[in-house]
Amino acid sequence: MADRKRMLQSTLNWLDERFDLTDIKAFVKEKGVPLHTQEVWYYLGGLTLFLFAVQIFTGILLLLYYRPSAAEAYESVQFIVTKVPFGWLIRNIHSWSANLLIAVAFAHFFSVFLLKSYRQPRELTWVSGMLLLFLMLGFGFSGYLLPWNELSFFATKVGTGIAGAVPVVGHFMLRLLRGGDDVTGATLSRFYGLHVAVLPAITTALVGLHLLFVQRQGMSVPMKIERRVNAGEPLRTMPFFPNYILRDVLAWYVSLALLAALALFYPWELGTKADPFAPVPPGIRPEWYFLAMFHTLKLLPSHIWIFEGERVGVMAFGLAAAFLVFVPFLDRKASRGERSPAFTIAAVLGLVYLVVFTIVGHLAK
Amino acid sequence: MGKPLPLAALILLLAAPAFAQPSGEPNSCATCHASLPDQRLSRPANTFSGPDVHREKGFQCVDCHGGNPAAADKARSHDFSGRESAMAFRGKPTGSAIIATCARCHSDAELMRTYAPKQRVDQSTEYATSVHGKRLEAGDKNVATCASCHGAHGIRLVSDAKSPVFPTNVAATCARCHADEKRMAEYKLPDGTPLPTHQFADYQKSIHYTALTKGNDLSAPTCNDCHGNHGAVPPGVGAIANVCGTCHAVFAQKFEGSVHQQIFDKGCVECHGNHAVLKPSDEMLGATGHAVCATCHSGNDDKGAAGAEKMRGGIEHLKASVDRTGALLARIKNAGIEVSDDELALREARTKLTLARTEMHAANPPAVDGVLTEGEKIVADVEKNGQRGLGELSYRRKGLGFSLAAIMLVVLGLALKLRQIDRRAHL
Amino acid sequence: MANVHTSPRATKPKAVDAEFDRRTFLDALLAVGFVSTAAAIAYPVAMYLVPPATGEPETASAVAAKAGELKPNSGKVFKFGNKPGIVVRTPDGELRAFSAVCTHLDCTVQFKSDTSQMWCACHNGTYDLGGNVVSGPPPRGLEPFKVNVRGEGSDAEIVVSRA
Repeated sequence: MADRKRMLQSTLNWLDERFDLTDIKAFVKEKGVPLHTQEVWYYLGGLTLFLFAVQIFTGILLLLYYRPSAAEAYESVQFIVTKVPFGWLIRNIHSWSANLLIAVAFAHFFSVFLLKSYRQPRELTWVSGMLLLFLMLGFGFSGYLLPWNELSFFATKVGTGIAGAVPVVGHFMLRLLRGGDDVTGATLSRFYGLHVAVLPAITTALVGLHLLFVQRQGMSVPMKIERRVNAGEPLRTMPFFPNYILRDVLAWYVSLALLAALALFYPWELGTKADPFAPVPPGIRPEWYFLAMFHTLKLLPSHIWIFEGERVGVMAFGLAAAFLVFVPFLDRKASRGERSPAFTIAAVLGLVYLVVFTIVGHLAK
Repeated sequence: MGKPLPLAALILLLAAPAFAQPSGEPNSCATCHASLPDQRLSRPANTFSGPDVHREKGFQCVDCHGGNPAAADKARSHDFSGRESAMAFRGKPTGSAIIATCARCHSDAELMRTYAPKQRVDQSTEYATSVHGKRLEAGDKNVATCASCHGAHGIRLVSDAKSPVFPTNVAATCARCHADEKRMAEYKLPDGTPLPTHQFADYQKSIHYTALTKGNDLSAPTCNDCHGNHGAVPPGVGAIANVCGTCHAVFAQKFEGSVHQQIFDKGCVECHGNHAVLKPSDEMLGATGHAVCATCHSGNDDKGAAGAEKMRGGIEHLKASVDRTGALLARIKNAGIEVSDDELALREARTKLTLARTEMHAANPPAVDGVLTEGEKIVADVEKNGQRGLGELSYRRKGLGFSLAAIMLVVLGLALKLRQIDRRAHL
Repeated sequence: MANVHTSPRATKPKAVDAEFDRRTFLDALLAVGFVSTAAAIAYPVAMYLVPPATGEPETASAVAAKAGELKPNSGKVFKFGNKPGIVVRTPDGELRAFSAVCTHLDCTVQFKSDTSQMWCACHNGTYDLGGNVVSGPPPRGLEPFKVNVRGEGSDAEIVVSRA
């Protein structure tokens, strides 16, 4: 035991001589995580990061066998799942972790939204986080097409068609996304490039930024607690290393167990190979994380005043997204540390809307 | 040599010394007729100036109608006497004259060889044996002649998709008369009942029609494939199995050896219909419900009924086995087990089903049973492999169990460790 | 770090020892846990990385037969993915390959050396050496495949792949 300690110490000394570990050592010793009734929400961020790491790991493994062409994509996924040892495990973990990642990312987003952690000085953390959420959705949308089966082909057709409803630039955006006027092998190539290169690069940069902000500013506390601390009450904290981080790791291991079980008991379907000339299967719809938006658009009347219904819907969602990104700058009250029930209500309504419409969208025929 | 003689005589009579050769320019017929106000006179000229195989080969109005194409006035161009023309003007041919006009060239082997060496030259002879030909002989001008189906002006090659006798258009062409109740009203079947007019409607329900029009299968039969081209006659008793058997050879073979062959008046048509030949299904076999066999076979003492039920039962059983095993394979394939060898084997089992359905036409239950047994054996083997695949799945579950145990160990250890270090940190 | 479990009694060293033992046990437990989970992850990943026996998605190509197996005017049905294929050596010695799935009702065709044609036993469909329908119910010809020979002599492999 003492030997191990000495070995560790001499390694650290060796590194310190070369890289000056003073800052890091201070950080490790001093960083604390606040303890209070809402502390459980802190773990969601780390969990999102872990699941993203799982995606990168399994994604790279899949990359070694996957072929991104309309002629071979489906067959290569079939090959991975049936011929490559444990290919079924890697593929299913990748598919399940994708869904879990988006669910946890949304939970992380809503907890921050409701607890108003976005208020000053953490505005940029929020902005980078919102962009990351949109990137996660982009990952989900682009990755979904890659197995090139019937469901994913038509879901992509419908999804990119909605992009075409944006006024002025809609058609251009649609052609940019699809690599042409229709969903073809060109779309597959494009989505593949997005999924394995473009989106990961941007995400890595933003995650780095996001984590940098979080580490430099420390964890935010709920406004009620903040007011008490400002009034003089001491803030209970736990050391980041090792107490908090081990808790994080515990959560990660539990989610790993969940992923393995899901991969084995609820394997993802291969489906049938995409046929661009086949008719759209009835009841086609996107994955659950797009379902609320999709169902809303379906329910809109064909015309609202002088505008096309779909167009209004898409614009509304665009505005909502923009609103969300700028929430810290719009919520002046929270920035001043005051209660801001308007935004709490907005967050609750948003949550209720998403949950209800996802369920309704799922149950609808 | 009785009946065809008058027609042959007519042909010889109308044959002019200068036999049919394309006349070349000029052509006053067209220039005059095209500008006439009467539709009946202008239409042929206008149609003939459009796509027409004869005109494209250099033939003109006078080559069928006679007359003088160089004359500018009506009297001299309509040269009935034939003094100023290669062939005397004969106006619009009707009835047997139509046959004679066309046959003048199309029955001339030497002439046809210079234009279309492969084309047959016996159409008029065939026609004479047909119901249309015989009735025309008897004086009925209502029946179809060459022009009724091929047109007179604006004739296209049979291989031209717009021709009324292109395979996909033949049925509609026949139906022009045969589906017209008013027109068919005066005709009767040999037994005295009126001639039916629903054949085209029936045919449109059939799988042959679907194969022809939607399946792009030009070899699928239409009216002329069973009834004959020019010698159109409904196939007689005993000929039906041969006609159907041209394409459905194996079924005809099996049927030939069966007990039904001697009993059925109408062969294949008894069970499958003649025009509304639908895609056959297993429901047709058996002694109950909608089964076709039940039309004659029923009751406990009927050996045929028992045989039909047995065959149907066997086929349904194999079908169910194949489906069940197919579902098992799909399930384990989805979970990631390699099943391509078994999928291939299951194909063979499906082939046995097809063969059993063919064999059934010999109405010999033991033979059908033999084929089905082979199929069941294949399915049993595949099922065994499928179960082994399920075994592979349970092996994976054990692996998962181990991984979960290891993970739970870590989780437990972490929980305990956290308790320890929390205490140390006074939390 | 101060040991909060120190008791004022003389059993202090024992308590320290007990604590130490508990800590070592816990650390050992955790170590075992981490190592076994790491193994449970590393093993499948390592197996995954090793190339499988069939190097590529099989639906792209397959070895149909050995060159010496196919005499002129003979054919052989082989496995191509999960469907049957047929490779034929014409009477002139040329190699041709097609899908062996009859386009009528999916039965498997075979080669008949007496007529030098491919034939389906189910309903008598017949195909010529170009895969075209000659007679019977099939609506379309057989899908042609590409044939290549890998190697030399009678042991050379006849490789069939999608056209």
